[in-house]
Amino acid sequence: MSCKKTSPTWAVAAGLAWALGAAPGCDEHDRHAFPAPPASVAAETVTVEPRTQLLPTFPCSSRCHSARESQPDKRLLTEFHTFRNTEFHHGDPAGWCYQCHSQKNIDRLVIASGELVTFDEAYLLCGGCHGDKLRDWRLAVHGKTMGHWTGNKIRRSCTGCHNPHNPTFPHLVPEAPPVRPEHGERM
Amino acid sequence: MKNDGCTPRACPSSEAPVAGATAERGAPLLQLGRRPPDRRAILGASVAAVAAAATGSGCGNHRFDAHYKELTDEDKRRIFERIEAETRARTGVDVKISAPQPMDGVEFAYALDLSLCNGNRRCAEACARENNLPDVPKFRYIQVLEMDRGTLDFENANAYYEHDEVPVPGKVYLPVQCQHCANPPCVKVCPVTATWREPDGLVVVDYNWCIGCRYCIAACPYFGRRFNFHEPTVRPRDINPDQGYISNRLRPVGVVEKCTFCLQRTRVGRYPACLEACPTGARKFGNLGDPNGEVRIMLERKRVYVLKEELGTLPRFYYFYG
Ligand code: SF4
Ligand code: SF4
Repeated sequence: MSCKKTSPTWAVAAGLAWALGAAPGCDEHDRHAFPAPPASVAAETVTVEPRTQLLPTFPCSSRCHSARESQPDKRLLTEFHTFRNTEFHHGDPAGWCYQCHSQKNIDRLVIASGELVTFDEAYLLCGGCHGDKLRDWRLAVHGKTMGHWTGNKIRRSCTGCHNPHNPTFPHLVPEAPPVRPEHGERM
Repeated sequence: MKNDGCTPRACPSSEAPVAGATAERGAPLLQLGRRPPDRRAILGASVAAVAAAATGSGCGNHRFDAHYKELTDEDKRRIFERIEAETRARTGVDVKISAPQPMDGVEFAYALDLSLCNGNRRCAEACARENNLPDVPKFRYIQVLEMDRGTLDFENANAYYEHDEVPVPGKVYLPVQCQHCANPPCVKVCPVTATWREPDGLVVVDYNWCIGCRYCIAACPYFGRRFNFHEPTVRPRDINPDQGYISNRLRPVGVVEKCTFCLQRTRVGRYPACLEACPTGARKFGNLGDPNGEVRIMLERKRVYVLKEELGTLPRFYYFYG
């Protein structure tokens, strides 16, 4: 990337630049960048876990959508995405695919500014409504950070934990309980 | 209890003197002054049969090694190699014992987002695998307390809940493990300094030095410690071969053990196993000394509390609502 930033290196993995279709200029890059912390964490590198490669039917355009017209109005889905008819629980019940997915380029998401972003940058879309969570996530206070606490961190993106179509965190089967303490040890 | 033909008597290495320990052996039984109390003096003063019973737990238990803090690099190399060889003979697993040192300018702290924890206990299980906790008896360093929503009623909390699904409506969950107190009562009561606080804030136990008196368990206000009443049995295929001498190496019967914030991982820059296993991202870990680290940012921006603050134990484990 031609636009040099000192610290930290917020490397969004999986070729953010080419994914946008063109290398973004400095302005664009800065807008997407995290707030620059002081030099003491200059070595810190945060990589946002890429998502696109995990999508089983990506690229949507060449797999299916090139062969069909986009439908701007809400309707019951009758082909591939039928389970979304019942699964979808997010925000406005009158919402429709193209609130978030780009109608022009089905392989991209569209954020409030009208700009297209990749599935790897879904946090920019989520942050459009959940700004407080995006702020906390960028500070590593919300969301999951893995890798090394000493610098090379891997941040899980919003959609790594939340299903964007039904974002309530799923219920889980708990692991079995431990044994009770022996010989009168008490909590 | 399986002994694998490796009784203390039959096990030559347990008799082999270790440098550092040799010098101590001639020391008078009772010592005054500022040195750590000689644990052997206390052992020696106890009934010989009791001492024999305590040492008779197989080769993992070397009660005549010097205190960890007095080991030279050469002692460590020798002891680690001996433990590795014994573990190989006993379990067939090739393990690597290490003792990573604290880093300068680092004090570890943990933070946990109570608004996210849903009580699934993945942390406790990941901890068990990382730290070679036995499945029989199945104790865990991390207890997840289930309480009624709107209360933080530890008296009526339930750590033994069994549900098909969590979270259960109307309940909240609060995981408790060793809080790595900056003013730890468990350390103060240990009669033989077998447990202490390291410069980076980790409260650790020297399993070879612990006499199993369990004073520390009585002193800990958080139920952070566990005692090996039985020979801990870890299935060989479950053994984590990456072992720290004062953290997750296989423990003998009759000693106290506890969470070490995964010392063997965190001192080499990794995150604790419980953090990596948590599916909700409720767990945060980092260096309290780094003003831009996630724990400091959380401390400055969120509503934070510590358990039983009034006791003055100064926990380095912070709970917050994200
Ligand atoms: S929580 Fe208990 S075991 Fe851990 S340091 Fe504090 S007093 Fe000691
Ligand atoms: S049981 Fe606890 S107090 Fe007793 S020797 Fe072991 S570490 Fe020290």
